[in-house]
Amino acid sequence: MNALLQVENLRVEIAARKRRLVAIDDVSFEIAAGEVLGVVGESGAGKSVTGTAVLGLLEAPAVQAGGRILFDGRRIDTLSEEGMRALRGKEIAAVFQDPLTSLDPLMTIGDQLTETMLTHLPMTRAEGEARAGELLAEVGIPAPRERLQAYPHELSGGMRQRVVLALAFCCAPRLIIADEPTTALDVSIQAQILDLLRRMCRERGTAVMLVTHDMGVIAEVADRVAVMYAGRVAEIGPTRQLIAHAAHPYTRGLMASIPSMRRREKELTQIPGAMPRPDAPVAGCAFHPRCPQAFARCAAERPPAFPVGAARVACWLADPAFEGVPA
Amino acid sequence: MNGTDIILSVDQLTVRFDASPPLLKRLVTGAKRRTVHAVEAVDFQVERGSTFALVGESGCGKSTIARTIAGIQAPTKGAVSFMGVNVAGFRTRHAALPYRRNLQMIFQDPYASLNPRWRIGRIIAEPILTHRLMTRGAALDARIAELLATVGLSPKDAQKYPHQFSGGQRQRISIARALAANPAFVVCDEPTSALDVSVQAQILNLMKQLQRELGLTFLLISHNLAVVAHMADRLGVMYLGRLVEQGDAEQILARPLHPYTRALLDTVPDPHAPHRPRARLSGEVPSPLAPPSGCAFHPRCPLADARCAAERPEPIRVDAVSVACHAVAEGRIDAAQPDRPKDQQSLEQSGDAA
Amino acid sequence: MTAARATLASWWDGDLLYRFRRSPVAIVSLLVAVLLFAVALGADAIAPYDAFDPAAANVVDARLPPGSAGMYGETYLLGTDPQGRDMLSAMIYGLRTSLMVGLASVVLAALVGVLLGLVAGYFGGVLDAVIMRIADVQLSFPAILIALLIDGVTRTALPREVHDALAVPILVFAIAASFWVQYARTVRGLVLVERNREYVLAARVIGVSTPRILFTHILPNVLGPVLVIATINLALAILTEATLSFLGVGLPSTQPSLGSLVRIGNEFVFSGDWWISAAPGALLVLLSLSVNIFGDFLRDALNPKLAS
Repeated sequence: MNALLQVENLRVEIAARKRRLVAIDDVSFEIAAGEVLGVVGESGAGKSVTGTAVLGLLEAPAVQAGGRILFDGRRIDTLSEEGMRALRGKEIAAVFQDPLTSLDPLMTIGDQLTETMLTHLPMTRAEGEARAGELLAEVGIPAPRERLQAYPHELSGGMRQRVVLALAFCCAPRLIIADEPTTALDVSIQAQILDLLRRMCRERGTAVMLVTHDMGVIAEVADRVAVMYAGRVAEIGPTRQLIAHAAHPYTRGLMASIPSMRRREKELTQIPGAMPRPDAPVAGCAFHPRCPQAFARCAAERPPAFPVGAARVACWLADPAFEGVPA
Repeated sequence: MNGTDIILSVDQLTVRFDASPPLLKRLVTGAKRRTVHAVEAVDFQVERGSTFALVGESGCGKSTIARTIAGIQAPTKGAVSFMGVNVAGFRTRHAALPYRRNLQMIFQDPYASLNPRWRIGRIIAEPILTHRLMTRGAALDARIAELLATVGLSPKDAQKYPHQFSGGQRQRISIARALAANPAFVVCDEPTSALDVSVQAQILNLMKQLQRELGLTFLLISHNLAVVAHMADRLGVMYLGRLVEQGDAEQILARPLHPYTRALLDTVPDPHAPHRPRARLSGEVPSPLAPPSGCAFHPRCPLADARCAAERPEPIRVDAVSVACHAVAEGRIDAAQPDRPKDQQSLEQSGDAA
Repeated sequence: MTAARATLASWWDGDLLYRFRRSPVAIVSLLVAVLLFAVALGADAIAPYDAFDPAAANVVDARLPPGSAGMYGETYLLGTDPQGRDMLSAMIYGLRTSLMVGLASVVLAALVGVLLGLVAGYFGGVLDAVIMRIADVQLSFPAILIALLIDGVTRTALPREVHDALAVPILVFAIAASFWVQYARTVRGLVLVERNREYVLAARVIGVSTPRILFTHILPNVLGPVLVIATINLALAILTEATLSFLGVGLPSTQPSLGSLVRIGNEFVFSGDWWISAAPGALLVLLSLSVNIFGDFLRDALNPKLAS
């Protein structure tokens, strides 16, 4: 397996007052070099926590309680804070939802780019400044030379997110964790940023873990997609297969509940109820209380991930030994 | 439906905000007065029992229109007439009460729209008590229980506080409050944009069901075209404070005329139709502090010419749609184009997915 | 019944109480404060002698050290003052006076400040500008100066007996006059945020009257920080009263407060009669410290930014 990032049986717990809540439960996936993996799920499904864990940025009360994270075959979840910091920004970069949190409000854009590069790359300040100008041009900022002197607040939201992308790409990372990178933006700007992200990754062979709640964004950008539900991966596989022939009842429900601009239904398919919260976990398959196809085994036993085509599906219906619901 | 039963009529509505620096600063630094042109000369009408949707990107003025109609924002110019009464003309709170009873609103953020210190029962009772439709007592409690049941909650929930509910449940409570005084018209300002998609489907279905059962009229404000496509009978597309295209929702979605509407429809990612060829909107929305001359869209428009930069287009009618664009008026854009073939293709594709 | 118990349980498990239960400093400070409040409330029953009764004072017993026996066999646990009053009794009554002045001025300042803050924040415009400019002017005078000013004016304007009789209200007014600004500013800031929140807009759409919106919707949602300021201000008000009384512009010596007791003792510190100042001084420190620490705890516990 030539995976760039491997996450194996990741478990993240949150220390609450009296007990430990499980935020991420036995999550495994891998991202190949140059691949875009979409991680999709509803709020609270654990998709952002997964990204944070990969970045080594989990903060108390959240702790990694099990599993391994490997980058380029090397374990990174056991790295020291120092070692992780060297890796972050250089090999693994991050793009967050709110560009303002990623940019220092008191530093010019040029200085931020230059400083980041000088920290991680062997280059002189002059080289760094020249490269910073090139980067701004690459991310499509008009008059890049002049903009180097600008402060973040002088730019529009879309322009800021472009700067954040430039910052993420400046040290030529091999993996970018993008957490809802376009959620705060208007649709027309969102499309521009997604195009830019996709183009820059293609050109440089950068892999992306794209965390989002928007199935439309996934469909546009991701090669493969992992659908998360209640801290677990419900289904993971090639985007096309998942969209056209989702195997997990949750993925199917999710797809059907998205209204289409091209087809007007009298009524949208809805998934009844809501996702269980970490303080009230569900036995067996976490989706069974909302699942239209659940049967006795679903409530009793948690399904492992079964292969379905190129996908892996955590559902008893996908069990090769499954022979219809017992009457 | 009677085609002439207009419940709400908006006539040349203009809302401007004063964004000038304080007087002292203006005197010292010589800074000029600045005006935000939030809404400019907007006209539209809503038929009883239908859903009229306003779409556009943030800052296009759609929420300002919603607030003006809901009576919590004063118009600068123009008129909003609701059931034949001019909304801006009320002198006192009491004069406005009958109108307010008939016009309620659902807000975007289910976490901010309910007073965190009030029990659900009190929240839902507020419109009823304010309009003196009932007095406190068993009948009121029964009405609250009925309203909770209508929106799919348990009567016992009246005793709880907002923080004990999920986002979707809170939006249901918001709907129950909006329905409490039996209004004819509900302004829905981004009712599902803070919700997850599976919960969004629940709320949209509930809204449609209530519309059928109670004969409600909706004004739906949304940036989400898919939601609008699902809900709207008629549609208005806004750009920088102006309606650029409005009319029959099905026609606009199938055959958009205005270049902005076309670009907007192309831009939206649709999981049911991924990787379709799409035209991109370049640039960003200009500031409403200094809207461009002529057609506000001309700096981003692929079809713009000298006339677009100089002269503001007046709306013209094309079939069931009214559109404000020189290119359409001059025939530089094919107004009578057939439904675009790629949509047919995506229809089949999404048919597979279901 | 079960609903009531559930409410109680959720309150017991609520964030504030949970933090309180885990903070020994907060528990101790609240216990001390409550104990002092109880002592002040029950002064008539607890104090061994009546500090206001001139007949109980015996000049022969003046300035006795702690633990001395009096002429008629009284025991003075903390000694006596220059008039022969029992220090412990004087302190207990002084505590009551100090707390009364402190509480009254905090309540008055909070009432005025919250009301003006609500009005300024909600209506904005000229009303807001006028109220906040007055507040700015007020803020540029230190609290003591304002109190001195008011005391000075009333002292010259009113006959001595009237002034002595009105000493407590004047003091309360003087302290409140310098404290209301903080409430007004804080509440105004909070109201500016709350008035644009959707639950307030919803109430406006429903047609709820403005006073109702202000008092039933907005006010309950801005009271948390007001409570914190009030608690910390209580300690400050008690100290301000003590300072003013120490400077001789506060309460007359016939009405002992902790500050005036310290002042009385101040003259005798160098003659070795340390207890007359030290004992009420220590009580003052204990009182303001316990209230202050509890106020700090409240501020931290109610601050959403610090909450995890």
